[in-house]
Amino acid sequence: MKAGALDLGEASKGLAPRGGVNKGVSILDFILRLIALIGTLGSAIAMGTTDETLPFFTQFIRFRAKYDDLPSFTFFVVANSIVSAYLALSLPLSIFHIVRSGARSSRIILIFFDTAMLALLTAGASAAAAIVYLAHKGNARANWISICQQFNSFCERISGSLIGSFGGILVFILIVILSAVAVSRR
Amino acid sequence: MKSGDATTINIAETSGGSKGKAAAAPTIVATTKATKHAAAGWKRGIAIFDFILRLFAIAAALAATTTMGTTDQTLPFFTQFFQFQASYDDLPAFTFFVVANAIASGYLVLSLPFSIVSIVRPHAIGARLLLLVFDTVMVSLTTAGAAAAAAIVYLAHNGNASANWIAICQQFDDFCQRISGAVVASFIAAVIFMLLVVLSGLALRKH
Repeated sequence: MKAGALDLGEASKGLAPRGGVNKGVSILDFILRLIALIGTLGSAIAMGTTDETLPFFTQFIRFRAKYDDLPSFTFFVVANSIVSAYLALSLPLSIFHIVRSGARSSRIILIFFDTAMLALLTAGASAAAAIVYLAHKGNARANWISICQQFNSFCERISGSLIGSFGGILVFILIVILSAVAVSRR
Repeated sequence: MKSGDATTINIAETSGGSKGKAAAAPTIVATTKATKHAAAGWKRGIAIFDFILRLFAIAAALAATTTMGTTDQTLPFFTQFFQFQASYDDLPAFTFFVVANAIASGYLVLSLPFSIVSIVRPHAIGARLLLLVFDTVMVSLTTAGAAAAAAIVYLAHNGNASANWIAICQQFDDFCQRISGAVVASFIAAVIFMLLVVLSGLALRKH
């Protein structure tokens, strides 16, 4: 009888630290999601509100730059909006994981969607980065002029909006790894 | 009492039902071992599928790298000062594309031994977790290269009226076909990487 009671005591001691680490991982996951939400939302808004009109014009051409003049930027705004919406929707699930650290199936579903969103975010950010680079430097071979020399504030906006997005990418990588660690430790 | 890979539960024996309870303990040992064997077989299946997917991803990433890296088209006419030549290193986005896909191919080849380890030892967490971490980074890197090149390829096909950028595909046909094909192959590799991440996550579950 006494041996059985001692066994139960040792077993419960082994489980408690494991449960505590899982809870810490879940809390960190929630905080990272909040950071990513702020980053991607900021990027979407910063890119989506670009609108610069130069103070001169000729009779036929109008010197105006907006984000939807370039399809890559439209894709960037759409991708960041989708990812922000997904993060907002996944926050309740993250809270659920803090409360119930042992849930495995929901974590795996979250890993799947997090990976898909990581790919979408990276695609949007890199496509926009390629066009931003072209806007800054132009390309001699293809005879593409750099438009940044004329559209200063537009250029600054589009360059700055990339920062939040790339930060979101880093955070997403961490989130996926954390979810996998939490799944493997239960 | 805990033995190697199966747990036994000590049931306190009373004088009355000792026979019934002694029979219960071996069945509990038997069921935990059976669950572990079933889990090992299922994890092994996932690991084999993971290995096959890696082989496909190597093919896709290598194809993307070589197709983009060997682009070199010279148009048959030239003026006194210009020679109309298009190569991948004329555009920094394409250079990044080649580098990113080369890194992805190299990583995939190096990860094959770890994949084999997780086939042979289905319950090894370390190898799978390592693969998952690097696969996640590779998803990001491959998608970044593919998307940046796709943005430039789109511009090459369609041009942009607002920025006064002309579509160069109308002149450089072969170059354009090559870069478009390379981008498609790279996106296939990115999708395979995503599948690998989800598979590793599935196989990491403890039973």
